[in-house]
Amino acid sequence: MSKAVGWGAPRDAGWALPRPVEAGRSHEGAALEKAVGRAWRAPALWSLGSSAFSVTGLADPGRAAAAASREMFFRAAWSLVLRRGGLGSRGIHSPGDTAHSKGKMPPYTNYHAQRSYPMPDEPFCTELNAEQRALKEKEKGSWTELSHAEKVALYRLQFHETFAEMNRRSNEWKTVMGCVFFFCGFTALLIWWQRVYVFPKKPITLTAEWKAQQLQRILDMKGNPVQGLASQWDYEKKQWKK
Amino acid sequence: PFQLGFQDATSPIMEELLHFHDHTLMIVFLISSLVLYIISSMLTTKLTHTSTMDAQEVETIWTILPAIILILIALPSLRILYMMDEINNPSLTVKTMGHQWYWSYEYTDYEDLTFDSYMIPTSDLKPGELRLLEVDNRVVLPMEMTIRMLISSEDVLHSWAVPSLGLKTDAIPGRLNQTTLVASRPGLYYGQCSEICGSNHSFMPIVLELVPLKHFEEWSAS
Repeated sequence: MSKAVGWGAPRDAGWALPRPVEAGRSHEGAALEKAVGRAWRAPALWSLGSSAFSVTGLADPGRAAAAASREMFFRAAWSLVLRRGGLGSRGIHSPGDTAHSKGKMPPYTNYHAQRSYPMPDEPFCTELNAEQRALKEKEKGSWTELSHAEKVALYRLQFHETFAEMNRRSNEWKTVMGCVFFFCGFTALLIWWQRVYVFPKKPITLTAEWKAQQLQRILDMKGNPVQGLASQWDYEKKQWKK
Repeated sequence: PFQLGFQDATSPIMEELLHFHDHTLMIVFLISSLVLYIISSMLTTKLTHTSTMDAQEVETIWTILPAIILILIALPSLRILYMMDEINNPSLTVKTMGHQWYWSYEYTDYEDLTFDSYMIPTSDLKPGELRLLEVDNRVVLPMEMTIRMLISSEDVLHSWAVPSLGLKTDAIPGRLNQTTLVASRPGLYYGQCSEICGSNHSFMPIVLELVPLKHFEEWSAS
């Protein structure tokens, strides 16, 4: 259930890759979210490694292995960058803002899909290899003859992410709240230092004794007797009204 | 203790002002809650709408409705404003002049009585007095009688304000401003200078001592 395959898939052997994805596709929402969470930690290397090995097309198996492993390394690194960019960029909140989606995409596609414009004109993969072209030809016929895997492959050719993938949540809020609390704490420290070293002495009128005398004086002269302070005092019983 | 809201009204005008404030504040709360609701519903929807829109109906509504609300606020406001300027034949006239940084009062109807009113410094307060609000010579006035206050200034702008009577009048050098004072209760009423006038602007309070007429006459005779 490696979500990671989705990143490298389109420009790679698109035909073979959807097989692992297919398993995930059937319980899309929950599985994908879990996969994303795990994929955040488990690097893309792993799944790409497995996928790269299914690439054939190079005649010499040995060279294929070497080339594939080099390719795999670069693609893994690139997809880690993408993944970092994907989860770290705040694009999730406004998923697929043009600016962010440009950052996530390799810069030379015309694919601009946004949450508010989900079916762009250009497909995601424009460079199709022979198998993909054959699939596109098959697509022109009756769709009932396409297998599920083929349909998934066609979807992946056309679109970068499914709706579930596009709308996935992020952990950004934790970062934000953490920073907010950190700065609140820092401010509290500053204020504490101020209270100790900067503030002058409090005036005598703020002592409890003075405040009590003040209160008594105001009650004696019946200040604010209508709805204010003196109206809350019961003069007969000499206590606050309940 | 603390207080939320105005001091109790000591004059009929202030009572009207309290009611008006309640009325206007209710309107303000209604508008704010409506706006908050709209904002939150805008932010928490998954729907998007990207085509250009024509919104004639709602535009009409949100032009007409604020106009109506404003009229609803203006009518009581103007009523109170005119009420403040009613002719009421005051029985006493007191002049107060603002200085930097004290007030001076002149009762010149029947005799010449003039005095200055300085704030009592914190170090000289008697126990239980209010800091920054007490003065050495309070303004003694008869209660339940219409009094004309003429307010001016000897040097810079000040403002003579007593919130529980709903009074605030600017003291402008070279100009005489008039306001009417009528108190329904005896007691001490505090106010502070309300126009920035220099370093001790916060330290020139006003204290009115409203007493029954007999006591007032005794006081002014002494």
